[in-house]
Amino acid sequence: MDYLLHILVMVSLYAILAVSFNLLIGFAGLFALSQAAFFGVGAYTTAILATKLGLAFPVPLLAGVFLTAALGMIVALPALRIGGDHLVIITLALQIIVIAVMVNWRSVTGGTDGIAGIPKIHLGGAPLDTPARFLPLALAVAMLSLAIAWRLAASPFARAVRAMRENEAAVQAVGKNIVAIKLAVFAFSAGLAAVAGGLYAQYISYVSAETFTLDLTIYILAMVILGGTGNLWGSVLGAVILTALPELLKFVALPPDIADKSRQVLYGLALIAILLLRPQGLLGEIRAPRRRIARAPAAGAALESDLPADGRVTVEGKGLMRRFGGIVAVSGLDIELRRGRIIGLIGPNGAGKTTAFNLLTGFLRPDQGTVSLNGVDLTGTKPHRIVRSGMARSFQDLKLFPRMTVLDNVMVALPRQKGDNLFYVFFAPWIVAREERANRGRALAILDFVGLGERAGDTAENLSYAEEKLLVIARLVATEAQVLLFDEPLSGLAPNTLEAIFPIIRRLAAAGRTICIIEHNLDVIRGLCDTAVFLDEGRKLAEDAPERLIADPALAARYFG
Amino acid sequence: MDLVLQLIVNGIINGSHYALLGLGFGVIFGPTRITHFAFGPLYALAAYAVWTAAVPLGLPLPAAAAIGIAAGALFGVTTYRLLYRPFERRQSPSLVVLIASLGLFIVLENAIGIAFGSDTKVIPNFNADVILLGPVVFTSVQAAQVLALITVGSLLALFLKRSDYGKAVMAMTDNPEMARIIGIDTVKVATLAFALGSAIAAVPAMLILLKEGATPYMGFNAVFMGFVAVIIGGIGSLSGAVIGGLTLGLVENLGTWQIPTEWQSTIAFIVLFIVLLFKPRGLFARGAR
Repeated sequence: MDYLLHILVMVSLYAILAVSFNLLIGFAGLFALSQAAFFGVGAYTTAILATKLGLAFPVPLLAGVFLTAALGMIVALPALRIGGDHLVIITLALQIIVIAVMVNWRSVTGGTDGIAGIPKIHLGGAPLDTPARFLPLALAVAMLSLAIAWRLAASPFARAVRAMRENEAAVQAVGKNIVAIKLAVFAFSAGLAAVAGGLYAQYISYVSAETFTLDLTIYILAMVILGGTGNLWGSVLGAVILTALPELLKFVALPPDIADKSRQVLYGLALIAILLLRPQGLLGEIRAPRRRIARAPAAGAALESDLPADGRVTVEGKGLMRRFGGIVAVSGLDIELRRGRIIGLIGPNGAGKTTAFNLLTGFLRPDQGTVSLNGVDLTGTKPHRIVRSGMARSFQDLKLFPRMTVLDNVMVALPRQKGDNLFYVFFAPWIVAREERANRGRALAILDFVGLGERAGDTAENLSYAEEKLLVIARLVATEAQVLLFDEPLSGLAPNTLEAIFPIIRRLAAAGRTICIIEHNLDVIRGLCDTAVFLDEGRKLAEDAPERLIADPALAARYFG
Repeated sequence: MDLVLQLIVNGIINGSHYALLGLGFGVIFGPTRITHFAFGPLYALAAYAVWTAAVPLGLPLPAAAAIGIAAGALFGVTTYRLLYRPFERRQSPSLVVLIASLGLFIVLENAIGIAFGSDTKVIPNFNADVILLGPVVFTSVQAAQVLALITVGSLLALFLKRSDYGKAVMAMTDNPEMARIIGIDTVKVATLAFALGSAIAAVPAMLILLKEGATPYMGFNAVFMGFVAVIIGGIGSLSGAVIGGLTLGLVENLGTWQIPTEWQSTIAFIVLFIVLLFKPRGLFARGAR
């Protein structure tokens, strides 16, 4: 009986670990290989504080959680700039460093002997010294951890996290701070793993470095993959299956060393088999099914505020210059954008149009020159801050969040969300819930404004090309920026669709937005823009009314030449 | 001063080992972009192949070495064809391939343990000569590690620059898409890369077998160091991988001048951490932007 209860305790601990790992790799798409190290740091911290200082539960566990969360943030630092293989290698390095510290810092960690005789947790005066006595605590903590992870996964914060997984540049372009998001996710995942570590230390009463190796990370990874990345219940299921199944091996008479290795071989084979046969895992990520979105009766206005369309200069780029290696992409560019006016940016391919957008919106730092918005200098400011100050841009290749719903694509872009802040998510959920209702109304109003209201519940990848273009506009409007930079918003569209989009952009201008459009189609420039700027080889060659610019034979020769 | 000199020599020796691993890992990683974790246990398997040929079968060392290199290449190609190719065919994301590779890693590592036992396998009756050169001391095996880097590195450079297949490998490293468009058979080139990289890995594997013996777990450190050398050097640059490996060896060893030896690997990884913090694309990344 005790044996069965012991397995249940282990299932609870592994469920916490699998869920914590899933948040990192499944939800955030951050592939780190240091979960065993986080688990180990939590376990060792608890072991040291409980054994050497005699601190009582839950103090050692909480200390372990905070220390590990801080460690998670340090590891995230190099990963903030570049992901993928670099994150893998950095987290592996952490794994090795952690083991080295456990083995070498003998005075504190006991070296290769580990730490034995860790005191049992006492609750209500009685020690939890048998699986039967420990199980209720393990289950309760596992449930609590799952509830916390669940709350996180259902929050507006998680919407931003998923968006980041789909496209980092786009999520910056709607004003999210991806540095803060990654740090928070790492801290959260590491802290949760440390919860399991703290419980483990005081349950087994013994910790040793060899428990917390890469093999353990792969074992937890197998649980996450088996259950399905991005699905928290999947991780619980994976933990149940992969903890319970190998126990059956115990009934085969094998020497313990061989049995242990056979178990590992089985995990590895299971991992490969799942990836080949059912890569989404047993449960798969829960995706919003196609559904009709219930309409809020008073959806509110699409455009938060109307400003005077008075032609006042809002954005000023002065002497902008940017070089890539030996190539000068933009040089000496002066550009002024005006409130209520639509300015077209034209020029042959490679003229530096998109680079100009990147310089204005902070995606690239100019080598020379300045950018200001309403007289405030923004040179060198991070993209998400520029969006929050009121200038946002779209991308030529759209960069939608294809696996999210149309509604979520817009909601994620709404500014100043309290739900992006984990403090509000956990400690003031009612505020977040109220805000979500209001934001939903606003997002739906914006979708109505561009004519996508009916598609709100669809997944973005199911939209037609024209609808995708509309969604790009809706997402940009949702940022509530006063300055909107559209990179080829109309390219590749049929003429009748163009006619439908023109009024949308005109209405934005009429409501006092400052608009700049990169466009190749001269009919669009003629039909839509108040002024056009002609760029070639990174320089501004002319700025004039579209008719006159297009009629200029010298420019036409350059354009079509 | 003599101590520093000795530490530099040790650094070059260990660095040569890491550089060879970086070459092996990098030749595969460059054109295929597969994070080939199973490189580690395959490296271990090559060491066990040499041991099997030399000890139970009693073959002379050069013959055993040849068998080890051939076996290494064969294992590498088999892995590509049976494990990675199916994922490539269904265009799985690179993350999925990486996880599959971790799966194979753990399977092979433990299978080796089951087949050969967990004890250290050594070549009995083999004793390396000690060489005294002025104030520094090293063994013949250590000298062989440096010579192996020079030989393998030169042959590889010659192959990649002169032969058509070598040029195809480089083209695919620069741009797999473009390589496919200009008619390079990318599956064939990837197979070749796996054969080459795995054969290269068999060389340091054999030398480590002579130096320290083989254990089922020797692969983890190997794949990690090879990977780190490639990342420090900059993905796609094989000379970068060599410099990355040598840097790693030198930093590790010079670090022990002031810091106790058991912290050797920790020092190297802290350096790695700092390099990636400030130069995320590595010290010698190819291509602009």
